Amino acid sequence: MRLNPLTVKKIQRFRSIKRGYYSLLLVIGLLVFAAIAELFINNRALIVSYEGSWRFPTYGAMIPGTEFGLDYSHETNYRELREIFREEGAGNWVIMPIVPWSPVENAFRGESMIPRPPDFARRHFLGTDRENRDILSRLVYGFRNAMIFAFGFMFFVYLIGTTLGCLMGYFGGTFDLIVQRFIEIWSNVPFLYVVIIVASVVTPTLGILLAITVLFAWTGMTYYMRTNTLKEKARDYTAAAQVLGASTPRIIFLHILPNTIATLVTFMPFTMASAITAITALDFLGFGLPRPTPSWGEMLQQGTQTMVIAPWIVTSAFSAIVIVLILITFVGEAVREAFDPKKFTVYE
Amino acid sequence: MVSPAPTTANGHPPASKPLLEIRGLKMHFPVKGGVLMRAQKQCKAVDGVDLHVNEGETLGLVGESGCGKSTLGKCVVRLNKITGGQVTFDGTDITQLGRSALKPYRKDIQMIFQDPAESLNPRHTIGNLLAEPFIIHGLLSAKERDIKVAELLEKVGLQASAADRFPFEFSGGQRQRIGIARAIALNPRLIVCDEPVSALDVSVQSQILNLLVDLQREMRLSYIFIAHNLAVVKHISDRIAVMYLGKIVELAPADELFANPLHAYTKALISAIPEPVPGGGRAQRILLQGDVPSPIDPPEGCAFAYRSWLPTSDDQKRQPGTFREVTPGHWVELHPGTVEDYEKYL
Repeated sequence: MRLNPLTVKKIQRFRSIKRGYYSLLLVIGLLVFAAIAELFINNRALIVSYEGSWRFPTYGAMIPGTEFGLDYSHETNYRELREIFREEGAGNWVIMPIVPWSPVENAFRGESMIPRPPDFARRHFLGTDRENRDILSRLVYGFRNAMIFAFGFMFFVYLIGTTLGCLMGYFGGTFDLIVQRFIEIWSNVPFLYVVIIVASVVTPTLGILLAITVLFAWTGMTYYMRTNTLKEKARDYTAAAQVLGASTPRIIFLHILPNTIATLVTFMPFTMASAITAITALDFLGFGLPRPTPSWGEMLQQGTQTMVIAPWIVTSAFSAIVIVLILITFVGEAVREAFDPKKFTVYE
Repeated sequence: MVSPAPTTANGHPPASKPLLEIRGLKMHFPVKGGVLMRAQKQCKAVDGVDLHVNEGETLGLVGESGCGKSTLGKCVVRLNKITGGQVTFDGTDITQLGRSALKPYRKDIQMIFQDPAESLNPRHTIGNLLAEPFIIHGLLSAKERDIKVAELLEKVGLQASAADRFPFEFSGGQRQRIGIARAIALNPRLIVCDEPVSALDVSVQSQILNLLVDLQREMRLSYIFIAHNLAVVKHISDRIAVMYLGKIVELAPADELFANPLHAYTKALISAIPEPVPGGGRAQRILLQGDVPSPIDPPEGCAFAYRSWLPTSDDQKRQPGTFREVTPGHWVELHPGTVEDYEKYL
């Protein structure tokens, strides 16, 4: 199976747009980093060498303190363990990640809860927030949550929007008319009220938030897919497939959908950006993920409240959001440019 | 209206029964409007057509843009759900068949489209496009399909290596060859050619026409050949039907039609064929007045009489003409506004 030379051209064009291409590489890098963040930012040790045997606590079940000869059976505090081993000098050792803090743990236990500025000695590279949680850790895990949300959002918005849009465009008639009117009414339901009502009844989880946002976001995709399908359906290759006796699913999936790929791909980065904005806004307003889940919106909210006494919170959160959104927008711009039908058209 | 009796032309043996018979075919498109998108009016694209196609025969169908000839073709291949009438293929009325009952007939009736750039999906390789008919009908294994695709490509004068390429990598003429290969893939008996050469360069047109003629001889195909260019139709057709505003106005064997056109519209069309020799003894060119009336509100009575140079009274215009066989195999719509000295044919 040979790749369509037009597609190859589009990819080459995308790669030639350096800004977008490197942005994409950076975003992919960030995603990979967020996916394996436990190896770099975590309060669990990477390797524990205890009495000759090695343990790797990063992934897997928690290891109680008794395992390492400590006098408690809750999860081992590896930072303390490291100090203990060092003092004992019995050949046991612990290797901690670069940032030995989990996003939900309070550092400075027992001390007063005030935001601390960046402290390299204690490995709080970006300081701590009001509840003494490490900001870098919360940023990275917040990014991971935002990206999980964004990918889930994109998947379901595309699934529902594309399916309905295609069906509307393909079948037209009464079905099209009814769904269109429904969408017009539906898109006028105030989204935020629904979120507030739901959040007041149940504690929103990632899944519930995803469901609500998708419920109000899929309509946008249908417009584009509907017009696209209408356009493609009227072309002769659809008629040719019909004359051959092709089934409707075959025509939609094998003939029409591949020709709308430019639209689908072009909207992807922008959909992701809007998903990140949406989850951040909800968290900022307090209707998002339950505390203490690391989230950018929550950090932003804290940051704006403590802007004077702890400017490092708001700067970190704000910079992270801006950088990620800019990177994704750069990718989106480059994709749009590369898939511009005026450049590589199949019409003559 | 009486259906034209089967006739023979150009030396084809008389068929006992026509392969395709169209009776009183009507295709009316609703013109929608208003808040609820209700049908306000009917666009009568095809309004009562009787035709037949014999086995191995080419029926030319000509008329100017918007006369309903392409719509008629699409009705035959069931791309349109017809409003009324019958299309009988090999003894079966195919207009009322459901999807699964129709499927076997899909193999027998195929279509070649006007613009091959549009009729070949740009996302698929030629191999995929030509294998699709077999996949849809569950024929042949993947390996056999590859062999068959290569055969088909060679049959239409392309190299087998074309299978790995995409439609836009070919010229217009080559693409039309691919369109033809797809149409003949399932060994059809009837192919509706919807202006298959009008999107092509003149130099390529004759190659494609010759290919169609060769394939017809080899595979014993029947064609409905739709064109707006009489010169093209003359070259390939056994019989020619002239269409005007959704109706057949004249039907005759090709030679007879050119030698002895009766309908004023046919005469006008023939006079419009460009002459290869500049200034070489061409007949007076007939220029028709006005445009084709809209099929949404066709004029009452004989639609052509309103544009004809033949003198008619308003009363006569409002009377419809009658479609009659004036000489064996030559049918024409008889009306004072369409045929000179029409009384002598009555």
